[in-house]
Amino acid sequence: MRGLFKWSSKWWPGVIPLVVCWAIAAWTSTEPLEIDLAQRSAAALKGTILDKRRISVEGRDVTLAADAFSEDGRQSAVASVEAVPGVRLVNDETRLVPEAKPFVWSAERDVVRVTLSGSSPLPASKGRLMEAARASLGGVEVVDRTNLARGAPPRFDNAALLLLDQIGKLKDGKITLSDTTVSLSGMARELGGREAIAAALKNLPEGFSVAANEVKAPPYIFQAYKDPVAVTLTLTGNVPDNSVHAALVAAAGRKFFSEKVVDNLKTSIGAPAGFANAVVPALGALSRLSTGTLVVSDREVKLSGDALYEAAASQIRAGLGKDFPQGWQFKPEISVKPAAAPVDATVCQQLFTELLGKARIRFESGKADIVADSAGLLDRLIETALRCPAANIEIAGHTDTDGDEAANQALSERRAQAVADYLVEAGLPANRFSAVGYGSTQPIAANETDQGKAQNRRIDFVVK
Amino acid sequence: MAYLTTFYWGWLLASVLLGFGMGWISVVQHGEGISRKWRWALSALVAALVAAALARVVPGRFGYWLDLGLIMFALYLCGCAVGSWLRDWVVSRSAPPA
Repeated sequence: MRGLFKWSSKWWPGVIPLVVCWAIAAWTSTEPLEIDLAQRSAAALKGTILDKRRISVEGRDVTLAADAFSEDGRQSAVASVEAVPGVRLVNDETRLVPEAKPFVWSAERDVVRVTLSGSSPLPASKGRLMEAARASLGGVEVVDRTNLARGAPPRFDNAALLLLDQIGKLKDGKITLSDTTVSLSGMARELGGREAIAAALKNLPEGFSVAANEVKAPPYIFQAYKDPVAVTLTLTGNVPDNSVHAALVAAAGRKFFSEKVVDNLKTSIGAPAGFANAVVPALGALSRLSTGTLVVSDREVKLSGDALYEAAASQIRAGLGKDFPQGWQFKPEISVKPAAAPVDATVCQQLFTELLGKARIRFESGKADIVADSAGLLDRLIETALRCPAANIEIAGHTDTDGDEAANQALSERRAQAVADYLVEAGLPANRFSAVGYGSTQPIAANETDQGKAQNRRIDFVVK
Repeated sequence: MAYLTTFYWGWLLASVLLGFGMGWISVVQHGEGISRKWRWALSALVAALVAAALARVVPGRFGYWLDLGLIMFALYLCGCAVGSWLRDWVVSRSAPPA
């Protein structure tokens, strides 16, 4: 031992090459060591949920900066890095992510994109919501502006996923989840969307509630366009159900005797109350126009076009609104078609015959009350009568052979008179018309069949 | 420590061999060693560096270099001790009995 002590005084020269070795070792090993430790530290943190994680290594000292989502998570992250072999010290720069109070998450949809903002509880749920948004919105740009925060209510993910499903049903609008209360605003993409959203909100996870649902439905639109060139009536837009659909198409067929009805209607829920009761008279008014458009938007009825003569225009302007159910508005934009060129009596007769060959003036069964469906035909007859102001016209009423002959005679007279009165009311001079009833004495078809009888029940206009 | 050993066994082995060589030579070397005073001063310096390394007061890369240096130095000393002792054993065995 004493020898060892003596010899050790002569060991110092070896320190010089040792220092050289040390310098070379330090020079060459530092960077690879740091890289290796950084990789090992990152691997040790693989299972720990952290945000904004940054690992920097100097020598064997690791600086760990990260946002943790719980105190336990934060401590275990630091402990994991400390346990990495070779790490000397951990400079702990971790912190907890801020707590959001209230915890607000929102999804806003505008024309081009959906923006998610507010807070998300974990990176995983942030990613899941983003993915769900992309999947449910198919092709719409999704922008994620959410920050991570603590304080999310339990079952937040499920609630947010359900709400993201709803954003797909909006054309524009915003859905906000504040703690456990949901508020919605905006416009539904389709008719019925508002109802679908309200139904889906019933499935919100336990504990969540709807504070305000101000989603509006898009306007319920029904349109009819009378095209005088193509001789068509085109119906587009929505009807509440199949029975109303059939009733409207049937009414259009009765009122528009010469036009072909093009039916492009589709069935949608969300119609305003009294829809059919407003649309049927509005179609009647449209049938009186030479060309025109009917637009029903929610409870507003807009009718624009040309009436055949001045009195018809005033009648439509003043009369239609009265037929509507309560709460409905009528906005007429009726002008009068320029008067057609006068014609002589023979042409007038031809025009009358042509018109009455296409349709007949219809009355209530057994009565002399003209049904509203005939208004369009009568307007055209009046327009024709106005073109030959010099001609006197006999309005001839005819019946079939059913029932008592005397009663038929009286009915035919009353019906002819009713038509004459209608014409006078429209502004034509009363002295041009003579109402004559012929009962069943002048049939134009056999009275054995229903079809023949229907042909015999008629009003003829005879120019004298 | 175990990690460093596996990571840089080459450098550490070099330190041991260097020490072994120095120890081997020192037994038969003539001339003066370092003085007692210097020996104490150097021992105190090494003790201070070891204390600093154990207390981890030197930060970052310097801390690592200090650790590395001390480990290499410790192994060098071990190498010296083994070398000196072996050389002494060889010399005393081959020397003619007095």
